[in-house]
Amino acid sequence: MSTPEQNSKLLYWAGVALGPAAWATNLQGVYVITHFACHNTASSSLVIGTILILVALAGSLLSARAVYRGAGSEWADARGGGPRTFMAWLGVGSGMLFALVIANQLIAASMVNSCLR
Amino acid sequence: MTLVTQHKELRDDVLDGLQLSTRLDRIWRTPSGLIGALTSVDHKVIGRRYILTAFVFLFLGGALALLMRVQLAGAEKHVLSADLYNQVFTMHGSTMMFLFAVPVMEAFAVYLVPLMVGTRNIAFPRLNAFSYWMFLFGGCFLWISFIFNVGPDVGWFAYVPLSNLQFTPSKRADVWAQMITFTEVAALAVAVEIVVTVFKLRAPGMTLDRIPIFVWSMLVTSFLVMFAMPSIMIASTSLILDRLVNTHFFDPAAGGHVLLWQHLFWFFGHPEVYIIFLPATGMASMILATFARRPVIGYPVIVLSLIATGFLSFGLWVHHMFVTGLPQLGAALFTANSMLIAVPSGLQIFCWLATLWDGRPVYRTPLLFVLGFIVVFVIGGLSGVMVASVPIDTQVHDTYFVVAHFHYVLIGGAVFPLIGAVYYWFPKISGRMLSERLGRWNFWLAFVGFNVAFFPMHFLGLMGMPRRVYTYIPDMGWDRLNLLSSCGAALFAVSFILLIANVVVSARRGALAGDNPWDASTLEWATTSPPPSYNFDRIPAVDHRDPLWSDTESIRVVAGLSAERREVLLTSLAEADPQVREASPEPSIWPLLTALATTVFFIGSIFTPWAVLWGTPPMAVALIGWFWPTGSREDEE
Repeated sequence: MSTPEQNSKLLYWAGVALGPAAWATNLQGVYVITHFACHNTASSSLVIGTILILVALAGSLLSARAVYRGAGSEWADARGGGPRTFMAWLGVGSGMLFALVIANQLIAASMVNSCLR
Repeated sequence: MTLVTQHKELRDDVLDGLQLSTRLDRIWRTPSGLIGALTSVDHKVIGRRYILTAFVFLFLGGALALLMRVQLAGAEKHVLSADLYNQVFTMHGSTMMFLFAVPVMEAFAVYLVPLMVGTRNIAFPRLNAFSYWMFLFGGCFLWISFIFNVGPDVGWFAYVPLSNLQFTPSKRADVWAQMITFTEVAALAVAVEIVVTVFKLRAPGMTLDRIPIFVWSMLVTSFLVMFAMPSIMIASTSLILDRLVNTHFFDPAAGGHVLLWQHLFWFFGHPEVYIIFLPATGMASMILATFARRPVIGYPVIVLSLIATGFLSFGLWVHHMFVTGLPQLGAALFTANSMLIAVPSGLQIFCWLATLWDGRPVYRTPLLFVLGFIVVFVIGGLSGVMVASVPIDTQVHDTYFVVAHFHYVLIGGAVFPLIGAVYYWFPKISGRMLSERLGRWNFWLAFVGFNVAFFPMHFLGLMGMPRRVYTYIPDMGWDRLNLLSSCGAALFAVSFILLIANVVVSARRGALAGDNPWDASTLEWATTSPPPSYNFDRIPAVDHRDPLWSDTESIRVVAGLSAERREVLLTSLAEADPQVREASPEPSIWPLLTALATTVFFIGSIFTPWAVLWGTPPMAVALIGWFWPTGSREDEE
């Protein structure tokens, strides 16, 4: 794959976009649902957190797929000049990083009673 | 590569050699004399001043550290009074953090980033000049206040209620708070310049994955500055307002909250550590690659580590507040975050070790300092993991264990690579080599002196010696370790005297450096040492991450920029494709005048709220003068 159109289908940027987006949604989401979580179901923040971890990891996977299919040999090539592949690698790492950060918040949410927050 | 020309203007594609360089020099040269010095917008001139000024503050802060070590070398010494000791440790911390560590990193970036990305000047050069003047005036304001016994005595963190009007009725806390405003305005200005320079002024072909790692580190650092520093500016301004017009932000009796200060301060304060550390890692990566004789291993991993470290650094601030009575769950979350950030830092260290392992290392002075940095920083990182744990932190909080930890992190993580960077880039800046022999003495004295000075502090902390005490009684049993620590500090100071001697002597009599004395790979080494006022005869076109190590005989260049006026080339964000020719500002006195007006406003406003009224018109006049169309060629497009 080499044409710009084909490259764009690879969603190399997915990890860079989905990771932070998932984290931002989670951060705002747990604040918004605090009241609801207390009065209805204590597991709502856990469900949201889990889904958003999967979203962040999906970004990583899409970026990894872009690396695998369209990457060329940038990982081993010291010349550079493949910003899409580079972005895809950043996407792989970024999705994983934000999944970890959401997991951190998720663990906190699982340990505290929603009505006490 | 030739740019399309639409005007009948003399361009560099019809000139060559001496004719071109003479013409470019006439356009870009800073005028000589006092007026020239005050109006310069050349990033190299301002960068040199910034570096020199920051090092002057380093030596002043270091002198205060020596005073403290003399005072603490034995029990019940009377070199400093309690009041003066409070001022001295506050001045030491404030000077080192706000007037040395952050500014010196930005100063190196001001000098090096435009050269590394292959452009002729930094973005917003007049803002750059304004930034330097603000930094200089802020630093002078702090130190002149100290000389007149109005030096802050509330710690470099100025916690309330200690720093509120009730407990510090003098102007000392106001001086600290307004110094913050000065230095943060300066830092924010440079951060904006760096981001725009990296995003828009890169040489054609310097795609995102060809940006030198130091430039990446400064880009991430600049974003950290832009997100972290507003927090401390809000805090310091709120403190001044509390003290001046009773706004009660931090007064619990009137509905304020003292912990709000700590949150605002440490939301800035912890990223601040990485604002200092990340540029140093960038310097280390550059030096390692050059002296390992191979490109750094794991370029994408290092870049991602820089970004991850930058992001995570905003999630750690509460570990400075573990003993303030926060809920345990919150503390546990911040413990986890604090340990998480060790992962990207560890990744970088593995990449550096792999680079050394796979390369053919040449152990010159810059590399020695980087190796020293790795050793010292890893020790500091390990004690960091210890104090990130709530039970340990609760025990050692406010003891000398913490003093040892953060000096290992900050001196190990920033000063060692910085001194390595001085040895590495001095030939580029001055055109002359530093003495290798003195350099090796400098390194070993620094390495031994530093460890002798700070390692015993771990034990002192574990023995219960608290921070910020001006003396102690003999029965505590802290004398010997303190004396040892003071001897180490003296040795460490001697290493800096050697550095000064080396710089002064070599600047006059050092061996001529030539363009690329280290056989390094990045663009700053593609021009003369020191670089001409216009940086490059023609803008280089990059086709390799290490352009000077690529197989091609010579670097391709871009032609078509103006040879009649200051002009830079703007390129696209990801691919660095040429987009637009843009005029670059000429020298101007207005940044200096604006900085002077701002200084009067800032200093006046710690004495009277009316300064807001009479202080803003001069600033407005200066800014109008700054932006007034002059009909010069830079205003034409």
